[in-house]
Amino acid sequence: MISKRVLFAALLLLCSSLLSSAANVQAAGWGSIKGRFVYDGAPPKAGPIAVNKDREFCGKFNLRDESLVVNPENRGVANVIVYLYLGRRDKPPTPHPSYEKTADAEVMFSNDKCRFSPRVALLRTTQTLKIANADIVGHNTKIDCFSNAPINPIIPAGSDIEQQFSAQERLPTRVSCSIHPWMTGWLVVKNNPYFAVTDENGAFEIKNLPAGKWTLQVWQEKSGYVKEVKKGGKTTKWKKGRFKITVKDGQTENMGDLLVSPKLFKDR
Amino acid sequence: MGRAWAAAVGVCLLLQAGCNSPEAAFHFNAVYAHKQSGVTKSQAKNVKEILIAQFGTPDEPAIPALPDLDVSTVISLDRLKMSAGPVERTDDTAPRRGLYREHCAHCHGVTGDGRGPTARFLNPYPRDYRRGTFKFKSTPVGGRPTHADLKRILVDGIPGTAMPSFKLLAADELESLIQYVKYLAIRGEVERSYILEIDAELEEEDLLLNVPGEDAEQVAEQVEVIQDITSMVLSRWANAAGQATEVPAHPVDDDKIASITRGRELFFGTTANCVKCHGDTALGDGQTTDYDEWTKEIDPTKPHLAAEYVALGAFSPRNIRPRNLRQGVYRGGRRPVDIYWRIKNGIEGTPMPAAPATLGSDDIWHLVDYVRSLPYEALSQARTSGPKFQRERN
Ligand code: HEC
Ligand code: HEC
Repeated sequence: MISKRVLFAALLLLCSSLLSSAANVQAAGWGSIKGRFVYDGAPPKAGPIAVNKDREFCGKFNLRDESLVVNPENRGVANVIVYLYLGRRDKPPTPHPSYEKTADAEVMFSNDKCRFSPRVALLRTTQTLKIANADIVGHNTKIDCFSNAPINPIIPAGSDIEQQFSAQERLPTRVSCSIHPWMTGWLVVKNNPYFAVTDENGAFEIKNLPAGKWTLQVWQEKSGYVKEVKKGGKTTKWKKGRFKITVKDGQTENMGDLLVSPKLFKDR
Repeated sequence: MGRAWAAAVGVCLLLQAGCNSPEAAFHFNAVYAHKQSGVTKSQAKNVKEILIAQFGTPDEPAIPALPDLDVSTVISLDRLKMSAGPVERTDDTAPRRGLYREHCAHCHGVTGDGRGPTARFLNPYPRDYRRGTFKFKSTPVGGRPTHADLKRILVDGIPGTAMPSFKLLAADELESLIQYVKYLAIRGEVERSYILEIDAELEEEDLLLNVPGEDAEQVAEQVEVIQDITSMVLSRWANAAGQATEVPAHPVDDDKIASITRGRELFFGTTANCVKCHGDTALGDGQTTDYDEWTKEIDPTKPHLAAEYVALGAFSPRNIRPRNLRQGVYRGGRRPVDIYWRIKNGIEGTPMPAAPATLGSDDIWHLVDYVRSLPYEALSQARTSGPKFQRERN
């Protein structure tokens, strides 16, 4: 035991600064990737939320549980987050010029009708999150970040605040309101613009990635990492929700419909 | 072996006597590892070994070495020694040891996980330091408490909770205990960060640190990750001193009644929103169904999941109640400046939010004045006269 301890201690003293990372292979040009997440079962019905605060106001909106939103018509799963996975030492790729004009944009995140809108906010570290309260009741917005300092300010009715997050967050961060505990949202903070969230049809697209080999990671609030998908009858495991793609110059790689099993969305 | 030691420590703590167990052990954070489900047994064992190399054991503490940060500026190994180890009082001239186990461990646990033998009977539960989250401090949410903040907690205790005052300890003993709290918190935060790192980055068959041998370059890379994580945790503590929220002077115009009136308006208004949680009569009965951050980690709203965590050692979830402001008991200290900090910054780890940025320091002071006037209002006085108004103490 002791000898091992000494060994480790010695190791930790070791200072290594000349490490080169196994960077992603970047070729010339730009390409895109898209696809659609589809619920592989009968669309679940979202249950109603027990509104126990500010009933006169929040009770008007027929609020539903939005932790898993499946489109009843085409079974598309909304709010699935897809982002470029980078190892601890990988430099983010230089973004395509089309992302320049939004580099310091404001991203809206609103307390609206006693729910967060959007449910998932995508933010780059260079952008500003504008947290607004469009309601006539007060809210507080509690963001339990890990790399950035967590915040929990009161947002008075009809007002807004601006907040910056200078470090990227490895995982989507939960946003909640302590006054109205049913309110849940998610904030994604990345140091690059290569992320997307699926729309009400389950579709996502990440545009203008540098051509080359990349790893993407997929996460949904109920499933955590999306660990397997089925395509054309074949099930593929995605360890930690990751899969590899090759982006080709001038092309959009269409992954088509990716079926996700209901068992992924059991309470964890 | 690890389990046997843990059991021995448990028995020692229960018996509270005659325990000179030479090698007590820190408990692994199994609850957090369960939450980050992708941690295997051998990865957990690896984390324990790395932590021993960096932080030593309860009897023999160590502090990690880092290339870019002088750790002794945050915690001094010399100071820790008095608090570490088993309770020892054999000889008056010898330096004392074991202060933490003598005074704190039966509530806060040897590991600082808030799970000492008496802990589960207390409400609120004793602090689990391992998140690095502290409630009563001068720094904003996300900042670590300053040295002075921790000292005040030790000297005054936390009124209205089981946390006692340690006013009677000698100055060097207090100093050592403060350092020891930081040590346990930092160790716990580093452990959590390793668990998170493994869950997010590593394949099942990989370790955070391979026993050196085959691939020196890989090991060097792993060491760098370990050092990065440790640095990140330590720098938060190193920076705390500079983060204390300034408290501008109370508005000079000292018409107390006017200030209280303005404070009451704010308290019940839609800008500050205090009423939503503290309730229409400030008895703390507004929003009573929420949980603190420690409890939220064990999915309290899903009983079947919470049960899994409880089986791993977590305590049963309880709701957190906003403070009954008519009692005049302030856990974080009763000085006006303490209440100013609570209202301005919120109370980290709890639902109590920070005041909106639109409120200037005068407004915060008005709220402080109003809050401090509440126990003296007629309603508060009437309460004590009849059982009808009696409420559960919060
Ligand atoms: C009888 C039980 C008990 C003992 C003994 C005890 N504590 Fe506590 N302590 C508590 C409880 C309960 C809390 C949580 C109070 C709360 O959440 O409001 C707490 C909280 C704390 C906090 C957190 C303060 C904050 O701002 O969040 C610190 C630090 C602390 N204790 C240190 C110590 C130290 C050091 C000792 C020994 C010298 C000690 N405690 C002994 C019960 C105890
Ligand atoms: C979202 C709910 C919520 C809101 C809004 C809220 N509080 Fe609190 N407050 C709490 C909770 C919960 C606690 C108890 C925290 C603890 O110590 O565990 C608390 C504690 C307090 C305390 C006790 C501090 C101490 O040292 O004991 C004061 C004073 C206080 N709040 C004042 C206010 C004021 C003034 C406002 C409005 C600006 C406000 N609160 C808004 C939930 C809230």
